[in-house]
Amino acid sequence: MKNFTVDSSRWKLANNIIVVVLALWGIAVQNYSLKDVSTFEAFLIEAFAPIQRGALSTREKLANMLDHYVMIVNTSKDNAELRKEVKALNNQIFEFQEVKKENERLKQLLQFGKEIPREKVLAQIVSWDASNEFKVLRINKGSADGLKKMSPVITMNGLVGYVYRLTPNYADILTILDQNNRVDSIVARTRTHGIVEGISEFKCRLKYVNRTEKVEVGDEIITAGLGNIYPKGIKVGKITQIDKENYGITQSIVVTPSVNFHKLEEVVVLIEKEEKTENRDVAKEETNE
Amino acid sequence: MNKYGPKEILLGTIKTCLLLIVLEIFTTAFLPAMGIINFRPEFNVLIVLFLAFKLETPVLAWLIMIVQYVHSLFSIEGWAIGAFTGVLVSMSVRYLKDMLDFSTAISTIIVVQIFQVAWFVATSFLLSLKLGDFGNFFHLFWQDIPESLALSILSPFFFFVLDRVWRVKSKAVGVAI
Repeated sequence: MKNFTVDSSRWKLANNIIVVVLALWGIAVQNYSLKDVSTFEAFLIEAFAPIQRGALSTREKLANMLDHYVMIVNTSKDNAELRKEVKALNNQIFEFQEVKKENERLKQLLQFGKEIPREKVLAQIVSWDASNEFKVLRINKGSADGLKKMSPVITMNGLVGYVYRLTPNYADILTILDQNNRVDSIVARTRTHGIVEGISEFKCRLKYVNRTEKVEVGDEIITAGLGNIYPKGIKVGKITQIDKENYGITQSIVVTPSVNFHKLEEVVVLIEKEEKTENRDVAKEETNE
Repeated sequence: MNKYGPKEILLGTIKTCLLLIVLEIFTTAFLPAMGIINFRPEFNVLIVLFLAFKLETPVLAWLIMIVQYVHSLFSIEGWAIGAFTGVLVSMSVRYLKDMLDFSTAISTIIVVQIFQVAWFVATSFLLSLKLGDFGNFFHLFWQDIPESLALSILSPFFFFVLDRVWRVKSKAVGVAI
């Protein structure tokens, strides 16, 4: 028994060392700006994402149930049938209203950014990242819809982020709230250059702005078009706080994004026309194989 | 002392992963769908802590890695930082075992909270090191604290469920194959 214990503890130590070494290698090669997925990972993400998407419809059903069933538990039996009909009609109206609202939102999204010379793919938010440290969204469009890694993602209010991880039918978006996403930007009024970086809690920071630059609270920040990711002129946010310390050569500027991430439901992915057709062909070939 | 056979480890791992997948979907999709975007409890941490506290098997490090791999499907955090931290925690548990008490709910909550704080210090440090920016270290650390308190309060119930999954109660603490 003693020998057995010694052997097992040695085995455990060996396993610990192997996993620690593997993990250190994993940390070293991990890229928080762009990610390739293996076929196995893509398969698992594709398998779980529809369930995540299903949570949205669950919410609507729950809301309907609470609104239309729980509140009327004590109604008299005589009115039950009539009330059922009214409920059914109300449900229908509610659904129509939701569809109408969605249509209006989608129309606005499609109308938006006509001047941007890229093809637009509408997508719905499926889920958020499981870790608090990362501000990442999952959407219901992937390489089969023509998306490509680093494709910019916007709404009619402004910039959301770019495609970080891609599977055939889903994509992860690294939002501008994430500290790994750096957006080359300019202050629209003064044309001052800076880098917008996420600091979480739905705020960003505009870095590397010289303290002599006369930027003000309320100034609008737009993309500079440098860096080959985002087209020029997309709204990023507004300056909401400026701290000029007595030391240092730059200012500490807090930016509130134009996009309300609390209420984000649909986004638009911008893709080059050639990219889209090429990706679709590749996705089709993969499906055929 | 009891032993865990390969079959028991495989079954326990599958059940644990399924439980984690359900909880990850709850955190990533259901809570945001309800409008709760800023509150995302990291159940993978709780599961890894359970494995570290209650299982004594030579393949514990690999189990931690599998749990973190499943977590990485729902987060761009990846598996590596959590696996590294989890193995370090499991090694430290070995030396602190006599001091750890899970006989009451309160003691479980306190132990889990202490180890979660240690976990978040380690992961925030590694993440800051990886990103080359220690400016956000305290922010990264503090933002996890509200969720960790909720997880600690849930931990007695959660450990009760995982005790059943791994049959810890009937086997006390398992031992190597």
